[in-house]
Amino acid sequence: MTMTSRERVLTSFAVPSEPGNERLALTRVAEAVAAADLTADQLERLKTAVAEATMNAIEHGNHNRPELDVDVTVVDTGAAIAVSIVDNGGAHEPENDGHIALPDLDLKLAGLQSPRGWGLFLIRNMVDAMDVSTDGDKHTVRLLMVTGDPATQTPDGQTPDGQAPTPEGGPDDQQV
Amino acid sequence: MTTPALELDVRPVGGATAVIDIRGDVTATSEQPLSAAYDEATNTHGAQSLILNFTGLDYMNSSGIGMLVTLLVRANRQRQKLAAFGLTDHYRQIFELTRLDEAITIYDDESSALSSASATS
Repeated sequence: MTMTSRERVLTSFAVPSEPGNERLALTRVAEAVAAADLTADQLERLKTAVAEATMNAIEHGNHNRPELDVDVTVVDTGAAIAVSIVDNGGAHEPENDGHIALPDLDLKLAGLQSPRGWGLFLIRNMVDAMDVSTDGDKHTVRLLMVTGDPATQTPDGQTPDGQAPTPEGGPDDQQV
Repeated sequence: MTTPALELDVRPVGGATAVIDIRGDVTATSEQPLSAAYDEATNTHGAQSLILNFTGLDYMNSSGIGMLVTLLVRANRQRQKLAAFGLTDHYRQIFELTRLDEAITIYDDESSALSSASATS
């Protein structure tokens, strides 16, 4: 990951791939960003996104193998908080058994969709941007939450000096 | 002593209505206790209106939302009404995103939920 002079690593840690450890990750991330310029609502949304992405990494990336870690890094880019969540599953769809179907409550209530499958939908709706990349076995989900007064930023998340908070782009970028 | 991740109490409140008090985490491990609470409210207390009290909710993830959908499916089959109160602004937002708020009526507090349940029973 390329760092600019404005970027600062707030924390970097690993959690074993055991169900429930997403709570450990969200607690550590919340502690790391406590001094960041996020509103209470942004913090709650970031915590939910981190928990869901970590759950996906544990379950779908590392297949609940506790000897494999999920690595979490939190960076303050100066314009956003960026949280990278890395598993060892290589290219994989995070859920829905490889099929990214938009969850639909009506279909679920009619028995036409599994009651589950809300994770990726939640992540996409909780953060300002999300991108997914794969390098060999390493599968990375990067979450971005724009910091500072939203009134001073353009709808695409740019600050007045034109600094975009998003990381280097890639073919897997999924802006929300 | 470890604290259970989820504690549920079922309170019959009259008028074929039961409140399910939720304390702790609603996650994938909540399926059995939620199902047991639903069965108690329905089979033991004959509830036609179920009110979920989220005041003590610490954490709910996507699997927990799936558990609520399952509960909703069961309630719909039995033509029961499902309502909720005590949600934080964050979880209200999640209910709106998932459209659960269209199927589970959300109230600010217990008295409002009970008033509505008694008016429609």
